[in-house]
Amino acid sequence: MADPKGFMTTPRETPTRRPVDVRIQDWREVYEPQSLEHLQKQAGRCMDCGIPFCHSGCPLGNLIPEWNDLMWRGDKSEAINRLHATNNFPEFTGRLCPAPCETACVVGINRDAVTIKQVELRTIEEAFDAGDVKPMPPDRITGKTVAVIGSGPAGLAAAQQLTRAGHTVAVYERAEKIGGLLRYGIPEFKMEKHILDRRLNQMEKEGTRFRSGVDVGAEITGADLRKKYDAIVLAVGATQWRDLPVPGRELKGIYQAMEFLPWGNKQALGEVEVPPINVAGKHVVILGGGDTGADCLGTSIRQGAASITQLEIMPRPTEERPSAQPWPTYPMIYRVSSAHEEKDNRMFSVSTEKFLGDADGNVRALQIVETKFENGKFEPVPGTAKEIPADFVFLAMGFTGPEQSPIISQLEVKLDERGNIARNANFETSEEGIFVAGDAGRGQSLIVWAIAEGRSAAAAVDTYLTGETQLPSPIEPTTRSLMV
Amino acid sequence: MAGGGESLSERIDAIKEEVSQAIADGARIIVLSDRDADAEEAPIPSLLLTSAVHHHLIREKTRTKVGLVVEAGDVREVHHVALLIGYGAAAVNPYLAMETAEDLVLQGVITGITPEKAVRNLIKSLGKGVLKVMSKMGISTIASYTGAQVFEAIGLSQELVDEYFVGTTSRLGGVTLDVIAKETIARHHIAYPPGGAIPGTKRLPIGGEYQWRREGEPHLFDPETVFTLQHSTRNKRYDVFKRYTNRVNDQSTRLMTLRGLFAFNEGVRPAISIDEVEPASEIIKRFSTGAMSYGSVSQEVHETLAIAMNRLGGKSNTGEGGEDPDRFLPMANGDSKRSSIKQVASGRFGVTSDYLVNSDDIQIKIAQGAKPGEGGQLPGNKVYPWIAKVRYSTPGVGLISPPPHHDIYSIEDLAQLIHDLKNANKNARVHVKLVAEVGVGTVAAGVSKAHADVVLISGHDGGTGASPLTSLKHAGAPWELGLAETQQTLLLNNLRDRIVVQTDGQLKTGRDVVIAALLGAEEFGFATAPLVVSGCVMMRVCHLDTCPVGVATQNPELRKRFSGKPEFVETFFEYIAEEVREILASLGFKTLLEAVGHVEYLDTKRAVDHWKASGLDLAPLLVRPDVVSALHNTSKQDHGLDAALDNKLIELAQPALTKKEIVKINLPVRNVNRTVGTMLGAEITRKHGGGGLADNTIDVTLHGSAGQSLGAFIPSGLTIRLFGDSNDYVGKGISGGRVIVRPDEKSTFKSDENVIAGNVIGYGATSGQIMIRGVVGERFCVRNSGATAIVEGIGDHGCEYMTGGTVVVLGRTGRNFAAGMSGGRAFVLDLDPANVNTDMADIVAVPEDQQEILQVLIAAFAQETQSEVATELLNNWKESIKRISLVMPRDYARVLDAMARATREGLPVDALVMEVAANG
Repeated sequence: MADPKGFMTTPRETPTRRPVDVRIQDWREVYEPQSLEHLQKQAGRCMDCGIPFCHSGCPLGNLIPEWNDLMWRGDKSEAINRLHATNNFPEFTGRLCPAPCETACVVGINRDAVTIKQVELRTIEEAFDAGDVKPMPPDRITGKTVAVIGSGPAGLAAAQQLTRAGHTVAVYERAEKIGGLLRYGIPEFKMEKHILDRRLNQMEKEGTRFRSGVDVGAEITGADLRKKYDAIVLAVGATQWRDLPVPGRELKGIYQAMEFLPWGNKQALGEVEVPPINVAGKHVVILGGGDTGADCLGTSIRQGAASITQLEIMPRPTEERPSAQPWPTYPMIYRVSSAHEEKDNRMFSVSTEKFLGDADGNVRALQIVETKFENGKFEPVPGTAKEIPADFVFLAMGFTGPEQSPIISQLEVKLDERGNIARNANFETSEEGIFVAGDAGRGQSLIVWAIAEGRSAAAAVDTYLTGETQLPSPIEPTTRSLMV
Repeated sequence: MAGGGESLSERIDAIKEEVSQAIADGARIIVLSDRDADAEEAPIPSLLLTSAVHHHLIREKTRTKVGLVVEAGDVREVHHVALLIGYGAAAVNPYLAMETAEDLVLQGVITGITPEKAVRNLIKSLGKGVLKVMSKMGISTIASYTGAQVFEAIGLSQELVDEYFVGTTSRLGGVTLDVIAKETIARHHIAYPPGGAIPGTKRLPIGGEYQWRREGEPHLFDPETVFTLQHSTRNKRYDVFKRYTNRVNDQSTRLMTLRGLFAFNEGVRPAISIDEVEPASEIIKRFSTGAMSYGSVSQEVHETLAIAMNRLGGKSNTGEGGEDPDRFLPMANGDSKRSSIKQVASGRFGVTSDYLVNSDDIQIKIAQGAKPGEGGQLPGNKVYPWIAKVRYSTPGVGLISPPPHHDIYSIEDLAQLIHDLKNANKNARVHVKLVAEVGVGTVAAGVSKAHADVVLISGHDGGTGASPLTSLKHAGAPWELGLAETQQTLLLNNLRDRIVVQTDGQLKTGRDVVIAALLGAEEFGFATAPLVVSGCVMMRVCHLDTCPVGVATQNPELRKRFSGKPEFVETFFEYIAEEVREILASLGFKTLLEAVGHVEYLDTKRAVDHWKASGLDLAPLLVRPDVVSALHNTSKQDHGLDAALDNKLIELAQPALTKKEIVKINLPVRNVNRTVGTMLGAEITRKHGGGGLADNTIDVTLHGSAGQSLGAFIPSGLTIRLFGDSNDYVGKGISGGRVIVRPDEKSTFKSDENVIAGNVIGYGATSGQIMIRGVVGERFCVRNSGATAIVEGIGDHGCEYMTGGTVVVLGRTGRNFAAGMSGGRAFVLDLDPANVNTDMADIVAVPEDQQEILQVLIAAFAQETQSEVATELLNNWKESIKRISLVMPRDYARVLDAMARATREGLPVDALVMEVAANG
């Protein structure tokens, strides 16, 4: 195990972020490098628990105690082997995952958790630096073909697993480039896109075929796919966004977050000079206090907004774990993301009653009201209504499920009562040979769940195609994180 | 591989033939090897092959002509080696384990060692482990262990056993060769995937035998059960508790316990309303917490459990580490930290008169479920000052619990100990704790005949994170087996009605309790679950003193992190009792007692649709002997206390007991008078507390031959002078009193050449004085921790495991003197160094500063006993002192030095001592 007394002698330390006024001048990632010795001491805080709750908090079942120990000892190459054994893309999760492993860490019961995510990230980055992440093409080809629809983390994970198992896999993506949410939803300052390209490059060399810019359902129909492939994995995500149907919603300047964020990324990469949605010098209001809201915030800051206000209907969470969300569950606590550190103007317990426009049909303000939670819903508090100015409004209120795209109806897969694509215990939809992985089957979730879904669905597809599988299957379709 | 069980059987037959031929051709050593296994041919499990060949040769009557050498890749644990030897191997070559050790060094996983040394260490530890396993089974030589088959199989079919493991007990049936073949092929497929390997999946699986892993072996306590158990009891959420019990109970698909395979037979009698079932508070009286010593767990945990159980009317258990006498007194708020059950284990730590008097139950620990047949060891760095205090030992000096009780070598000895303890507290029930294994029923019957009030059948999966891994996994049997056997044996021998049967070992739910009751238990112990309720998260680092939740640690900083409260533990037991009530109602029982022994309410026919469980037959567990007898305890044991000499002594000593007046008593004694003085001693303690009375307040002079256990556990204020001789166990557990034994005034023999008293004198003594003019038997002053004893000669194993006090031997000592001695001092006249075990102690000249103390002691001895040896020595003291050696434990000397230095330099004593202990 790592240092038996590490957790007693070393306090938790995470890498520092670059100074705010420096980092908002660019789009690059916000963290400063941390020395390897520092990180190893942090890894040495791991207690190698008899029941490693971290390993249970992580849907991928990352072998956290093992690679903490390996990194602590400096065995970087074995560490990446162990890490890759359960996680296809640690460089994504190491940057983007909210780390349910850390909120489940046993040290965290009464002290600060081990910096698991940081150890993970460092392990994979050291491996890339050392040239240890090589393509792993299969030894033999099965002759079976699989289409993966959607190139987000679930689709990519499924594709990589199936390719390595010897199947011939094509990944379809309607957007111009491969990556799904990873490319278009995640701002550059959280993950620079060359990180994604680096991994896609490995996958291509392993034999995975990428078909971007293809509108499946139109350019290629369900029937075509059926004819061409032995199995299909639907990994189309839960991209149907939640809207806010209040008066004034039709006004100009009101966008969904996912209409705004992709342009930020294109701007960051110099693909456009001035994006069509540009908040420079404008007043911005963001509806929704989650990660997507924070992404809109960081992007707006970097575009140079005059003011940014973020509204959240829920009350301000407590700094400490609420008693109803005990260790080792993932709690709702007051979190300060890097974007919030840059500019934090959050209003809690408020709700938007209507959007107010000017003569030209542009939004100019929101009428908001304070709310309180009564009788199972949020009720407005009388006499608290007020106006806040807005040139741009971004809705970041979550996603409800997969879009009603033609491919769903063409393939005749059934939906469940929540509007997700229904599936059995083997990730198989109502139609034989068609599988579903990720948010499309599970509903909106975290990147680790998406990868876990992709891996498990791949194992199911492999079994379907060959009768057995050696691919790991970390979760079942019904697995949920531990909750009260 | 292709043919499953059939081709496996054919190949084994072929090997048998080859071996027979080789013997006919003159071979004298047969090597069974799996080195040639490859992608096409899977290795036959080495144990199966070894035992098959072994029994084949026995059938052929050629077994003694050859030695079997096993060269196998599947051997990696002590248990594996023990099994191979136990089934006939003369030598074992675990080549893959050796190569792995080598590789781990070459890879840099193990550092600071050469590969050769790592391999040597592996071999050495496997060897030592096997020795330890053998010693647990009471076997001394490897020749006796070879082929001894001292194993019980669980889950092997009779057909398989009869063919390949002849003579092994396998009570429940189970798998056939087909299943073994299937498992072998599955393993082989991991090494050689049928369709070729997938890149990125080539790593060995992580396992998860000893630590939970998502894709590893299932464990009853996993993240979900730990979490739901803690959350439900901390927040009073019965609904969440149900999630916990449902998950634990739902084992039929996970095959983790035998009880998981049972179902309740509802409808044997009509279900009743839950309101008709006895209240939870009545059920809880049958619950106790497990024996966990203060020392293994923190004060906070120990007291939390005690307070909770006292509030509930259940019982908590001291474990074997003693208990601070302050806890015997009620707390200001009305709570009590006193543990109802006081354990008496082989180490006898802190077993004083006061300790025993302050008990409701006294539990003799014969063995511990988690590590049957093994002693324990508390390393010096965990013997903090407060631990040392209640164990009557020295801070910073390691403590050894010997594997056996030195006063129990037979069932008669056990009966004597039961009698001694009953005398030490006539109001307490005496328990005997046994471990479930084959034959436990017979032992339990003996225990019942030996007048124990309670017998505890402890299941093998009792747990401590500090157990040796070999014991954790492979020793003992499930309580279901032991309990069923005990109930059946007791009933058949008409011994059930006079004893209470208790069980423990990973009881976790109301369902577990009711199943245990139906199998025959009327009381129930819980250890791990209440610990988890108190905050334990199954770190399994109990031995490292780094428990992050302050449960299994003595580190003051970590103890501050303890978050448990008695209320949580109370809630846990209330919920368990509530579940018990629900099940009782559904079965139609009004009380838990009514259900005891009604095995017909259990069903084993529940479809077990797991390929590995299909051959199991649980019916033997559910046999109810056809006898007319109560199925549970209905009467009390007759301990024969009425006939004790102490009744007379107590009567005569009344002035001392009530008014502290000096009383002198003069009586004859015969060897039928056993345990003389102990009941009187208990009366002194009861009336005057642990401190007893002033020395010699009650001065009893006896003439004659005393029976066993003269002066056992007697406290301060009681002096027993025996003129004559005595049987075994004089001054056992003496705690402040004085016992003086000398030949009768009229005798003419030389006292220092004649035996005057028996074996095991002063065992577990904590304070007081033993003076014996004459030679005594073996194991003198074993585990003495504070008494002063002088004698004119002793047998073998003197001062073994001693941790404190002073022993003076003015005559010969036997072999193995001072083995495992970690504290105290022994002065020996004309010592033969060859008789001393110097593993832990040194022989030195008596230091000047101790010469006078010794002289005074010998003078007192001369005065009390008229010892001629002593008088002669004193007459020429200058010369005599040169003849006397001091046997001094090394660690003890080091700690004493540290204490002296601390006092001299004004440093904090405790801190310095612990530092010395930690740095060795």
